[in-house]
Amino acid sequence: MRRKQKKRSVQQRVFVVLAVLVLVLGSLNIAKAKGLLIPEQPALAIENNVIHLADLTLEQKIAQMVIVHGGLYNKEAFKSMQIGGIHLFALQDGELYKDTINQFQTDMQIPFFVSSDLEGCLNPFSNFFSSPAARSISTIEQAFEKGKTDGAFLKELGFSLNFAPVVDLDDQIWRCRSFPGNAEHITELARSYSEGLQGEGILATAKHYPGKTLVVNDPHKVLVSAEISSQDLLPYEQLIPGEDVGSIMVSHIIVSGAVDSSGVPSVVSLPVVGNLKEQYGGLIISDDTMMLGLRNFYDSVDELYVAVFRAGNDLIINFDEDPLEIYRMIQVVSAAVERGEISEEQIDASVRKILTAKGFKVE
Amino acid sequence: MFSERRYAIFNVALILAAVLLALNLFNIHLPSVGQAQSFFDTEEPSCLVDWQGEQTQWYDLDSCCLQARKQLSCEPEVGGWDCGAGSDTVHYVLNDKAYRYCQRQSFWP
Repeated sequence: MRRKQKKRSVQQRVFVVLAVLVLVLGSLNIAKAKGLLIPEQPALAIENNVIHLADLTLEQKIAQMVIVHGGLYNKEAFKSMQIGGIHLFALQDGELYKDTINQFQTDMQIPFFVSSDLEGCLNPFSNFFSSPAARSISTIEQAFEKGKTDGAFLKELGFSLNFAPVVDLDDQIWRCRSFPGNAEHITELARSYSEGLQGEGILATAKHYPGKTLVVNDPHKVLVSAEISSQDLLPYEQLIPGEDVGSIMVSHIIVSGAVDSSGVPSVVSLPVVGNLKEQYGGLIISDDTMMLGLRNFYDSVDELYVAVFRAGNDLIINFDEDPLEIYRMIQVVSAAVERGEISEEQIDASVRKILTAKGFKVE
Repeated sequence: MFSERRYAIFNVALILAAVLLALNLFNIHLPSVGQAQSFFDTEEPSCLVDWQGEQTQWYDLDSCCLQARKQLSCEPEVGGWDCGAGSDTVHYVLNDKAYRYCQRQSFWP
């Protein structure tokens, strides 16, 4: 007996079409959120710990220059892009940190830099680890001990980079982030802290070049400016020659005086970053690029991306939560290199420094 | 299975869902209720840096948002939010307007 076919009404047919459409769009949104729409970078031929720069695509090189916020929800996308570093915000306990870092590092040919903001009174691990505030440190021995203790703790969790010590001379906002004393004493404490930290295998970061970042607090301006004195620069002048710190972080403030950013934020200023680069062979790190003050300085975010790379920063922090935006930044910078707005030699020099700091021999 | 009227209701709901999903896919953001709330809230956004009970007003709201985002949690309190990672670290105290502003930043999930 022939089965009688039931005829579907228009509403029923529309329902089926819409349901399929919603399912497809939903799946695409999930894929987008997980970064599955981002193409995976090719595997590298690394032998005997030697990396040939010529083997890296331009996108791979630019990706190595980026530090993002690492969370388990976005790890696959950042792993596919072969991003250079992840920064971890506060988590519940040490095991969660270890697990997160382990999941990021697994199967990576070039490991991520893993950074934190362990300063003392700024302490994302405060839930389970105590660290004295920089303000309470007065002797070189105390500074060394703090660096050693912080370094051993970070190493144990799997970190490789710490955004400390602060060498700003005066902290009028937090009142706990700067070491006490005059510029010379602060420099000595920062050097000693860095020695302790780096002795444990954690790169230290002197911040925020060229100074006065913790002083300026102007309610009328999104982006602030400051007059830099020779005293502000003293810690850098004394830490740079011996490369006592593995990296230096450049701030967003517009500066004049002993250092002049020519009316633009320090982090995108060729004179500021360029001069620093001439004196200093370590890594130069930008402060987070997604700050509104910095973004509003340009007509588009793309211009900002190009400017921050062109200025000469080796590692660029971008904490945008969307992996697709990070991928877009890499594309934008890649296009700028191809147009000749940023030289590939400059990118190569930064990547060489990054890979060397990660323990590779670069040819 | 269902009446024609029910199918019509489902279809309208599905059209709305499809439009929202398409907008999200192409990064087109509609003004949210939060922004409307902010618009009508005449209070100035405020961020206080709190270190062991000593509080300082911090006018760089973007940086304050980023620091707040880096904390373990933001807990609601009277008139605002307290963001911190434990008792032994700096806390950031934001009023509602500042907190709503922070939630719209690209580094906020």
